[in-house]
Amino acid sequence: MTLWSLGLVRGVVGQIVGFAAGMALVIASRLLFGFDPVWNQEPALVGGIIIGSIGFLIGVGALTDWFKWMRGIETPLHHGPPHGRPAWTRYFGVDYNHKVIGIQYGVTGIILLGIGGMFAVIFRTELAASGFQFLNPSNYNTYLSMHGWAALAAILLGIGGMANYLVPLMIGAEDMAFPRLNAFAFWINVPGIITLLMSLNYGWDGGWTVYPPLSVLGPVGYQFTFWAVFLIGLSSILGSLNLIVTILRMRPPGMSLFRMPIFVWAVFATSLIQLTATQFIGQAFLMLSFERLLGMGFFDPDKGGAPILFQHLFWFYSHPAVYIFVLPGLGIISEILPVFSRKPLFGYRWIALSSIAIALVGFLVWGHHMFTSGYGEYLRVPFMISTLLVAVPTGVKFFSWLGTMWGGKLSFPTPMLFVLGAISVFLIGGLSGPILATTATDLFLHDTYFVVGHFHATIFGGFVFPFFAAIYFWYPKITGRMYDETLGKIHFWLMTPAFWTMSLGQMSVGVMGMRRRIADYDPALGVEFGHVLVTIAGFTIAFSVLLMIYNLLHSAETGRVAGNNPWRSRSPEWQIPSPAPEHSYASPITVVGEPYDYGIPNSTYVHMAPLAAADD
Amino acid sequence: MTTVTAALEGYTQQLRNNRMGLWLFFISEAFLFGGLLVTRFYLWGNTRPELDQTIGLIVTGVLLLSSFSMNMAETAIEHGDRRTFLGGLAVTAVLGLVFLIGVMVFEWGLFPAIYEGHLKPGDNVYGAVVFAMTGMHALHVISGIIFIAIVWNLGRKGGFSPERHWGVESCAIYWHYVDVVWIFFYPALYLIGTVAH
Amino acid sequence: MPKSATDIRHFIIAGVLVAITTVLLDLLLKAILPMPVQGSHQAQVIDQLTSWHLTLIAFLFSLVVVIMLYSLFVFRKKDGDESEGAHFEGNTVLEIAWTVIPLIVVFVFGFFGVRALSDVTRAAPDEITVNVTGFQWSWLFEYPDSGVASNELVLPVDRAARMDMTSRDVIHSFWIPEMRVKQDLVPGMTTTLRFTPSVTGEYTVDCAELCGLSHYSMVAPVRIVEQAEYEQWLAERTAGTAPALAQTGDETDADTDVETDADAQSN
Ligand SMILES: [Cu+2]
Ligand SMILES: [Cu+2]
Repeated sequence: MTLWSLGLVRGVVGQIVGFAAGMALVIASRLLFGFDPVWNQEPALVGGIIIGSIGFLIGVGALTDWFKWMRGIETPLHHGPPHGRPAWTRYFGVDYNHKVIGIQYGVTGIILLGIGGMFAVIFRTELAASGFQFLNPSNYNTYLSMHGWAALAAILLGIGGMANYLVPLMIGAEDMAFPRLNAFAFWINVPGIITLLMSLNYGWDGGWTVYPPLSVLGPVGYQFTFWAVFLIGLSSILGSLNLIVTILRMRPPGMSLFRMPIFVWAVFATSLIQLTATQFIGQAFLMLSFERLLGMGFFDPDKGGAPILFQHLFWFYSHPAVYIFVLPGLGIISEILPVFSRKPLFGYRWIALSSIAIALVGFLVWGHHMFTSGYGEYLRVPFMISTLLVAVPTGVKFFSWLGTMWGGKLSFPTPMLFVLGAISVFLIGGLSGPILATTATDLFLHDTYFVVGHFHATIFGGFVFPFFAAIYFWYPKITGRMYDETLGKIHFWLMTPAFWTMSLGQMSVGVMGMRRRIADYDPALGVEFGHVLVTIAGFTIAFSVLLMIYNLLHSAETGRVAGNNPWRSRSPEWQIPSPAPEHSYASPITVVGEPYDYGIPNSTYVHMAPLAAADD
Repeated sequence: MTTVTAALEGYTQQLRNNRMGLWLFFISEAFLFGGLLVTRFYLWGNTRPELDQTIGLIVTGVLLLSSFSMNMAETAIEHGDRRTFLGGLAVTAVLGLVFLIGVMVFEWGLFPAIYEGHLKPGDNVYGAVVFAMTGMHALHVISGIIFIAIVWNLGRKGGFSPERHWGVESCAIYWHYVDVVWIFFYPALYLIGTVAH
Repeated sequence: MPKSATDIRHFIIAGVLVAITTVLLDLLLKAILPMPVQGSHQAQVIDQLTSWHLTLIAFLFSLVVVIMLYSLFVFRKKDGDESEGAHFEGNTVLEIAWTVIPLIVVFVFGFFGVRALSDVTRAAPDEITVNVTGFQWSWLFEYPDSGVASNELVLPVDRAARMDMTSRDVIHSFWIPEMRVKQDLVPGMTTTLRFTPSVTGEYTVDCAELCGLSHYSMVAPVRIVEQAEYEQWLAERTAGTAPALAQTGDETDADTDVETDADAQSN
């Protein structure tokens, strides 16, 4: 085995070659069309970014089968690890198995979460005291902005990981509807991430919202961000398309929509948003890129453009994006709670439909990010009311979770602890929402640390905690072994109180007058103590996550053998061996009951054989 | 169950998945084009730039015609008529190219040596939106032509049959879709609003 | 402890705990979220609404967390007990209740929200108009009635003020925490912010929208003074004794600039 046989290595080489070729192409066409001067850094770099990304995809092999199709060559799906190479190498190249792709998404997501978290820890340390310690305003702004997009990309990848690994397993499908598209949708993230990290070299300072005119006037690092987000967005669109087809078309006999595991509903709702709204951010970022490249005046008032238009386009995606981030996590909570409560999910239909309701209402509320933007004042009231309405379906979820726990037989292994932590943290995030949705109070709180506290609680409660719960919960199915329960519990008991402290600390300093995104603050505000607390909490969270990573790596070798169904779950993926075999289900399955009928003796959710075969 | 019927069943399953996937892709793209229309109406309101009406009318007509030839090609392969199929595809691609030339050479003035365009992307918000909308649409026309070229090449080598021609079907639907998008773009660019000076 | 999950005693105990926690949490929240000085009429409206929101938050947080914790302790699985929980799949009446009641609460808060919004944005007769320009990374305040321009914002107490604002470069945001309200400054358009200062004192106007390198230091002094002092200040300014203004975005350290200006005033 050589290094060259790893797709990832070939991809990176492809990206480097492509980057050079793209720059050359731009220079050549500037020469051809008579531009002066021929060398202009920014267009050349953008050419490099685009062709470099294509170079990566060609190098890694994500396009190989499609190129063959174009020449009329059939390409049968290859199953199992590659021939003549160790089995682990399949994770570093194009593989069409949804479980492999799910792991690729998940692991990349965790790595990127680590990178995003690292940026946060760096500038958090700077903020622990007023005055400049070791950062200057320039790299403070860059790290802050990088933290935003690195973390958001990490979340999208984490969701992709959960959805890809779990959805086909949960609906008893052999794989996703379009395995090649699935691999493509994953791999396009990698050049995206590489591009995003390259922006560090040039710097950019707009925060993740990159509002023009700042983002048009700022350094060239912005271009890397725009295109990185564009690539990651493309992955979102293609991945969600694949998931929707898989969910609608590949369910086994007997699994009506209202008999799907609840997580599948959540992924479905998320995918509807991803499929549609993502186009808006892609388009908005392209417009920014071209405003910089060609002087197109979309957002330039001197040319008749409108800076506020960008905010509309941006938030039309980025508000629903919050639901992209949290709905799958809320689905995980609903999925795991019944297992450790030994009770049916309370109000299954209401929870399922509340996901769809949140997704739909989510399209009508984007203007709550723009109460102070200077858009027409008449828009403030409708956006306030529509936003407050989101509380209703969200409340349904909370109350239904309480109904699920009430009267159960609750046990508290690590995944359950993280689910409970998620509920408490998401509650902080959710309850701090209406005060921001109400315009009058938002005029005070907008762009303060209160908002920072609010959305970190929303995202930790809606994504990070459930994601960790999911990792611990399905770890035995993925590896065949149990994680270390003690370490898992230490992780939880470090992270959860630390996060509560962080949230309340951020909200507290925000109310006291601490603005968002400032590299330094006036000690007279009296927020230093709050910042020290938040920084300590941040370090604690970072440490606890490292503990989890150690636990996951270590237990993969030394953990106790888990068996098929350590949690006594009814879901189909727990009825097959652990780790899940190459072909998940030896034969097609049939659904014969309700997914969460815990407490009814001898009832099952699935038959592990086709109905016809089960009859004779 | 014999392997032949199993294979056929697999193909039908996959075909249905493909169709749904393609339509979902269109829904997604509708948001892209919708976003461009939003931009146009936000920035231009009830005005529009001075564009060459003759070119607009010609390219629109050409693109509409190409949908007919595309439909002809698809119907032909359903009946196993390979000659008409290939001919229809070729005509479609040529009409697509004519459309592109109309937009890029005459509306954009991409080659000033041939024709000096009267609007530049960096001029003002009119140039910006015209180039954004026609550019994004042209990108789709170009990919459509490449798609047609691939299908034509495969068809020439004996690919596709009346029973199995998903490649042709998807190519045709895609082309019609791009055509329909133009039907929304054309009035938004050329007809709605009063000319701004 | 009652055995059945639907025993009324469970609900009574939990209800009492929720009530106690709500009161405690309400106190705690208001302690850890100390608002700055209530410096304007708008601040009174906003603080009132904030206080109601915090009470609602305290109640809802207690409701969910207390019932959750109650379940964790009361309904936990005993060692060696492998039996399942009580089988109930849902309750339509409950689901409708916890859909409709929050809906009503939403509309109630929506109503108060709309009322508060119209209170804080209402125009008053006899407003003082100030033209505010933001630029990287400083502020310029112009008083069109007297032709005075300044890097310091001086306003009389208890008189409605109206900021007509624009930006020369990127988006900024005008925020005096003590006045509560906030409004972006957008290049190419004029935005308006109204507030009526009610407490004399020295404050700062902070830029609340990330605007580049020195965003953190885009701060200008604000003085709310008695009417007489305000008029005197204007008169001095009109007399032309004012020092040079920070007019361009070239200075990277806007702070020093503004401070010199303020010093010149107090001397
Ligand atoms: Cu939002
Ligand atoms: Cu500013």
